[in-house]
Amino acid sequence: MNLRRKPAAIEGAIEGATRPGPGTRPAGANALVVATVLLLSLAFMLRFGQPERISWIQNFFIVFGAILLEAIPFVLIGAVASALIEVFVPPGAFERIGRLPTVLQLPCAAIAGMAFPICECGSVPVARRLLRRGLAPGAAVTFMLAAPILNPIVIASTIVAYHGRPDFWVVVLGRFTLGFMVAVAVGWVIGARRPEDVLRKGTTDLDADDHPPEESRWSQFAGHIAGDFIFMGRFLVVGVAVAAAIQTALPQTLVAKVADLPILSILVMMALAFVLSLCSESDAFVAASFTQFGPAAQLAFLVTGPMIDIKLSALYAGTYSKGFLRAVLITAAAIILAGTLWVAVIWG
Amino acid sequence: MRWNRRRLLGGVVLTAWASLFWFVLLTGRTGLYLSTRTAWLIPTGAVILAFAAAGRLASCRSAEPPPIRRIDLRGAVLLVVPVVVLLALPASSLGTFALGRRPVFGVGGTAPTGGISTGTLSMVDIARAQATKQDLAALQQRAGETVVMDGFVATQPGEPSGEFFLSRFIITCCVADATETQVRVVDVPAGSAQANAWVQVTGRIYPLGSQVIIDATGVKPIPRPENPYLTG
Repeated sequence: MNLRRKPAAIEGAIEGATRPGPGTRPAGANALVVATVLLLSLAFMLRFGQPERISWIQNFFIVFGAILLEAIPFVLIGAVASALIEVFVPPGAFERIGRLPTVLQLPCAAIAGMAFPICECGSVPVARRLLRRGLAPGAAVTFMLAAPILNPIVIASTIVAYHGRPDFWVVVLGRFTLGFMVAVAVGWVIGARRPEDVLRKGTTDLDADDHPPEESRWSQFAGHIAGDFIFMGRFLVVGVAVAAAIQTALPQTLVAKVADLPILSILVMMALAFVLSLCSESDAFVAASFTQFGPAAQLAFLVTGPMIDIKLSALYAGTYSKGFLRAVLITAAAIILAGTLWVAVIWG
Repeated sequence: MRWNRRRLLGGVVLTAWASLFWFVLLTGRTGLYLSTRTAWLIPTGAVILAFAAAGRLASCRSAEPPPIRRIDLRGAVLLVVPVVVLLALPASSLGTFALGRRPVFGVGGTAPTGGISTGTLSMVDIARAQATKQDLAALQQRAGETVVMDGFVATQPGEPSGEFFLSRFIITCCVADATETQVRVVDVPAGSAQANAWVQVTGRIYPLGSQVIIDATGVKPIPRPENPYLTG
């Protein structure tokens, strides 16, 4: 499994769309007309060209639409939380948390994630805003990774999916414990960086131009929701398109062939979680359906998906500085692999 | 105060997305993408997007508005493309192409096991029976009972005529997590089932080993249900 290649490709693709340079020049009226004509042509082609008659195209668009329609509201809920923090939380509130010793700060940030019951798409805009408001990078990243895996809805869905199974406690407690450990460890690794080096430089937020203080708070609030949605949405669209393409091209039944191979089965399930890009609130049901795999491989699937997958990689690459995605991938993958290997040794 | 075109562009993007969510909600297409458990996301998204779009468009005038940059335009186009795609494409659901590419339904779900012992049998019950011995034993107690089940037709190469697999996908949150379940239907009247078509099968149910068979007494075509996916 090569966890580094695909995110690098995504990073590269997004880099081109967001790098300051020619793109920062004003767009002329011609560009607006061309964009409108292109979109209308696309609509005409889709409506009357009947591409849905081709099975794989139909499959791709259904999965693409489903993941987007599920993820976008979570991004919006995250954007609302983010806008509330920006507009209504006094400046400096998070700097006080940042002065706590690291040994307290990171576990506290992970536990705070338990109170944020949304999936991974919503935690990224909140973490971005927390960083901008002065929270220490390690704590913000720990919160971002912990929230989608430790929140009560995800724990409940895991309990329901594994209820009555012999590996119930291994998977449920393992997911909680290993998720907590990975979030803290990645936060510790990222915490070594300076705050200004964590967020991506030169990001071009469509709405970053202006939220002057003389505007009403509610106007600023709506503006920040819009800004976060537009900023995150572009990266989400790219990530979801890649995930839908892989879901369409790769039969999931293929992975069953390695179910009996101890280390490879764990690596394959981690890779599968990465490419499927499932919501953390539903992935337990999919993991439970891979009955050929042991609890260690299923646990690897359940911890990997909410922290590192294709759509998240696109969001990370768009939000954070170069190297962030690599650091998260390597640290998280190494700890998940080590942790699940121990589970395999002890529980089979 | 002059028009701030950059904010206007943001407002247009948000309006497009709000329109998509309202469209999905009002045309009853939610079930084509999400499960009944996550259907609340569509009205939630529609309301927040409408609020954000209105807020953005209401504050479109500012003192020194910046110009629209090319990168803003590219980002806006990228965001509007999915809206165009989902609005323009006709309604459809996963079909035979996805069968065999998805994992078979495993254990889990919220339906109590006791549901198989009594009441009307569903495809979810069949899926559960094929996944656990306990549920299979419960289904075996009901062998020979008449059932009515909806699904789409899947055929396999080399399959005897007069047989097909009645198929459904079971989802938890959205189509991306779909797992499949199938039941073999035998004694099908000739010409009553076309591949990928939605049908209603009436017949007696017989669990044989880990496979479940319906001995059909009637197969009639039906339109695709509003919720083509079952919630596991």
